[in-house]
Amino acid sequence: MDKKEIMIHLEGISKSFPQKRGSLEVLKNIDVQIEKGEVFGIIGMSGAGKSTLVRCINLLERPTEGRVYLDGTELTCLAEKELREQRHSMGMIFQQFHLLMQRTALENVCFPLEISGVQKDQVKARAKELLELVGLGDRLGAYPSQLSGGQKQRVAIARALATEPKVLLCDEATSALDPNTTAGVLRLLKDINERLGITIVVITHEMSVIREICNRVAIIDGGQIAEIGGVEEIFRAPKTKAGRELVYHEGTNREAIEGPIAHCYRVVFRGGISGEPILGGMMLECNAVANILSGNTRMIDGRVYGQMMIQLSEDKETREKMLAYLKERDVEVEEVYYV
Amino acid sequence: MFKEGLLALVGVAFWESIYMTIISTFIAYIIGLPMGLILVMTDKEGVRPMPIVHQTLGIIINIVRSVPFLILMLTIMPFTKLAVGTTIGPKAAIVGLLVAAAPFIARLVESSLKEVEKGVVEAAQSMGASPLQILIKVLMPEAKPSLLVGSAIAVTTILGYSAMAGFIGGGGLGAVAINYGYHRGQTDIMYIMVVLLVIIVQILQELGMQIAKRTDKRL
Repeated sequence: MDKKEIMIHLEGISKSFPQKRGSLEVLKNIDVQIEKGEVFGIIGMSGAGKSTLVRCINLLERPTEGRVYLDGTELTCLAEKELREQRHSMGMIFQQFHLLMQRTALENVCFPLEISGVQKDQVKARAKELLELVGLGDRLGAYPSQLSGGQKQRVAIARALATEPKVLLCDEATSALDPNTTAGVLRLLKDINERLGITIVVITHEMSVIREICNRVAIIDGGQIAEIGGVEEIFRAPKTKAGRELVYHEGTNREAIEGPIAHCYRVVFRGGISGEPILGGMMLECNAVANILSGNTRMIDGRVYGQMMIQLSEDKETREKMLAYLKERDVEVEEVYYV
Repeated sequence: MFKEGLLALVGVAFWESIYMTIISTFIAYIIGLPMGLILVMTDKEGVRPMPIVHQTLGIIINIVRSVPFLILMLTIMPFTKLAVGTTIGPKAAIVGLLVAAAPFIARLVESSLKEVEKGVVEAAQSMGASPLQILIKVLMPEAKPSLLVGSAIAVTTILGYSAMAGFIGGGGLGAVAINYGYHRGQTDIMYIMVVLLVIIVQILQELGMQIAKRTDKRL
């Protein structure tokens, strides 16, 4: 088996913040290796330490313990000046965009080029190219206050890519956007990853974001990595409690049901159907009812995305008929034991 | 005859006031602006935390600012004499105005720069900007509208101070108001001076706000 090249290596990262009394340990001994060219997700509930973790990668936060390597170079031992140099090869985008409000879109993208000492005559041309890449070639002169949330994030992405980084760090980059805009921004990130081969690290609390663009994911809980693996694998069979909560309870009341439940299935809609009342159809066709335990679906461009937890009939034959009905309609179904 | 004399008097006083205000505001900014910038940069939440520098500067500013302006003028008289060779007239008043206004401006600048969202600074840091680049290319341009509003406040405050300087022979509209209006009991002259001061303050304030609004791109 060929060994994948490692782009980011976090080795034994711990971070604690001094408090009035003692200190608050936010990250505990975290080891992660992120491969070159992959889209790596870090997911966790709010307060799990994921934002601190991503800031430990470009050392906006200095870990209390541990080392950070970028493409083989240890960052944690660098002096400020050398670290700034290295940061030119790491772009970052934020939930609140953090654009310069007094600069136009074009000037915002110029900013990292100016500070990294790119020649003046090249700065504008390069910035223009990048804004065209993110689909904003016609809004060069607009100020951030004149742009929508999605457009602002696109400017931020262009800005983060300006210095041709090896890595793009995304801190809740879509959390302030509506579903439609989120889908567009995620598509752009995926496209950037594929076309430019940039390694992307995505921090989010939304499983749907992970599912949409990530290759691998780490679930972080209480400052530690609960589990780590391929997205499909974790999505199908989360091993830990934190994993199950994130995968099954996306946006639902997780206190509602506890303990194992029989004949429970997770139904995943991936946009294959449009507007068809599929569960209703199933119930009529099979002449039996399904119990909807929880649901989190949404329509994007007339297609349904998301998942539902349903409990099917006790009768095995009816149950199989129902499952067959769903599978025929290109809906993913799998049995789960915990809701 | 009285009217003509008065007109000339007011004219001279008016220009003295304007001259004192503009010169002292200008020089006070040369001193106060860097002080404010240092305050922001060296803050423990700042881009380049230096607690000792920050606290020392803060204490000096607070001390000067806590002395009432008239008393400050009197206490620094030996220094004024040394600096401009006299303790009366507009020149002497300018020295007092500078000492009083520079720390005030430092605080104005500090509060303007602190209005800049921390996330924007963080974004600049993530791109590898140095503290100096953050100051020049992020903090100051982003705070520009607020800095301009601050400068309107500074100019009008300094104009007010300059009128107070009239009490100890500082010249300008304030001196006329005090000498003719108060000491000679010509209250009408006092009121004319007050009205003039009000008009100047209104114009300067409005001008400052308009310029600030024009340059602000946040709508």
